[in-house]
Amino acid sequence: LSAEAQQQLFAYALVLPVVLLLAGLVAYPLVYAVYVSFTNLVVGGTGQWIGFANFRYLAGSPVFASAIWNTIVLVVISDVFKLAIGLGLALLVSQKIPARGLFRSFLMLPWAMPAFVAFLTWRVLYQPIGGGFNLVLTKTGIYPEIVDWLGQRSTAMPAVIAASVWRGFPFWFISILAALQNIPTELYEAARMDGANAWQRFRAVTWPGIKRVVIITTLLSSIWTANSFESVWLLTQGGPSDATMVFPVWPISACRRSALGRLPLSLLPCSPPCSFWSSSPRRSCRATRTSRMER
Amino acid sequence: MRASSGLLGRDLIARALIILVMVVALLFVLFPVYWMVITSLKLPREIFRVPSLWPQVFTAANYRILIEDKEFLVAIRNSFIVASSVTLISLVVASLAAYSMVRFRYRFKGLIGRLILFAYLTPTSLLFIPLSILIARLQLGNTLHGLIFVYLTFSLPVSTWMLQAYFAAVPRELEEQGMIDGLSRLGALFRIVLPLSAPGLAAVAIFTFTGAWNELLLALVLIHLRVAPHGAACPQLPHHERCLAVGPAHGRRSPILCPADDPLLRGAALYRAGHHAGSVKG
Repeated sequence: LSAEAQQQLFAYALVLPVVLLLAGLVAYPLVYAVYVSFTNLVVGGTGQWIGFANFRYLAGSPVFASAIWNTIVLVVISDVFKLAIGLGLALLVSQKIPARGLFRSFLMLPWAMPAFVAFLTWRVLYQPIGGGFNLVLTKTGIYPEIVDWLGQRSTAMPAVIAASVWRGFPFWFISILAALQNIPTELYEAARMDGANAWQRFRAVTWPGIKRVVIITTLLSSIWTANSFESVWLLTQGGPSDATMVFPVWPISACRRSALGRLPLSLLPCSPPCSFWSSSPRRSCRATRTSRMER
Repeated sequence: MRASSGLLGRDLIARALIILVMVVALLFVLFPVYWMVITSLKLPREIFRVPSLWPQVFTAANYRILIEDKEFLVAIRNSFIVASSVTLISLVVASLAAYSMVRFRYRFKGLIGRLILFAYLTPTSLLFIPLSILIARLQLGNTLHGLIFVYLTFSLPVSTWMLQAYFAAVPRELEEQGMIDGLSRLGALFRIVLPLSAPGLAAVAIFTFTGAWNELLLALVLIHLRVAPHGAACPQLPHHERCLAVGPAHGRRSPILCPADDPLLRGAALYRAGHHAGSVKG
């Protein structure tokens, strides 16, 4: 064997374990999930090929429809709030403010916390009996009645969104702050010399400097929120009466009473972002690398 | 005179506004944390019957019950076993792959890179049903081995990507010198590249460990109560409503917070250190 070929073999041998493990643990299950979606497999049984029946069932299922709608609502609204809060606080922290370092670390606290700890805490805060929010609202007289935040359809989704924003905004904050700190101060001085007011400075200097980061953060945050299981599962499990049912929660809540084929199928809508992202590996690899670190 | 005093007044108002915003932001961020800590220090009757912002009686009873609770300790131990095994396995396997992808040129490198990225971006919620069937077929259902195995689905891709960045920062010349002195390729990896990427390895290890420690969905699906890592232990209790309804269980949360909390912050620091280490290029 030539030295060149030997080196090639060596290189392949080194990546082989990762490729094999991922093929077995990700690619194979994925393909299997697609196959199962054409069968009537249930837990403990053997499936038979039933064609597109599962797809037809889902198309006519009201829970599935509301899962689509709820996932969109959750992602869009919480992203808007995360952007507003993250950007606002990043702009604030990039100014001269008292106790800046300490303030910044406190803001990162929700993100540093394990997701299940964060959402269980919020669940306790929302409790009608002994919950922190009801206590504050009734004590201060802002709203005198006890509200069962997670137990009624009208407040359940806003409550989930609030908790998700609380946990997720620090990532936006720190990403935007990092981008802000990369903008040369000379640009601001020049803009000031030209007589630009605060809003004009933001439009002409700040926004172009952070635009890319905001776009990447939006994409990542949307993928995470759309796939985040803990938030909804720990707060409401998709209830009350499916008011907060989202894609990642639906299969597990339906796991024991439904044909398995319907379940993975229901999640296929979550995967387009994946294929979109894998088409530009270079950019996204950098983005994912830095962002996972921030986590 | 007047103009300057007017300016001073505006400055004061601006400062007051900034402080006001800071206070509101801190209240929003810290109130849930405060509530968690304070509730864990309350007696059960105080948690529900007379909720208050400040406990009348401080008690460590919740924590004592927790530490005396066998199931909790087993859960912590299991979490530890699973998280450290996953970390160890993915560090070894991912460093080999990352090294190969950084140092060599070969035909399917781009494809393999894409596969790894795709694996990372595949949502767990899409995989857990086929994975649970796979694990059941392998007779690994409800075992820690099975859990370690499936956790590789998210730990391997991330570790490989992150390690590539650290390895790329190690100058190729150092390795070549080592090989002139008689090291093999693998020797160069283990004797030169890995030691030089130590901060990066530590960051990846902490990151992977935290991810495995905090994982909930797969643990919930694959594991029944007896061996559940602590992430799954609480929500999976048969009457998990009650898990929140009693003081001891609530106190449960604060101790869990600590171990997973610190490494992450330290990891962030190491990550920065890693950057510096990489930038000192010969």
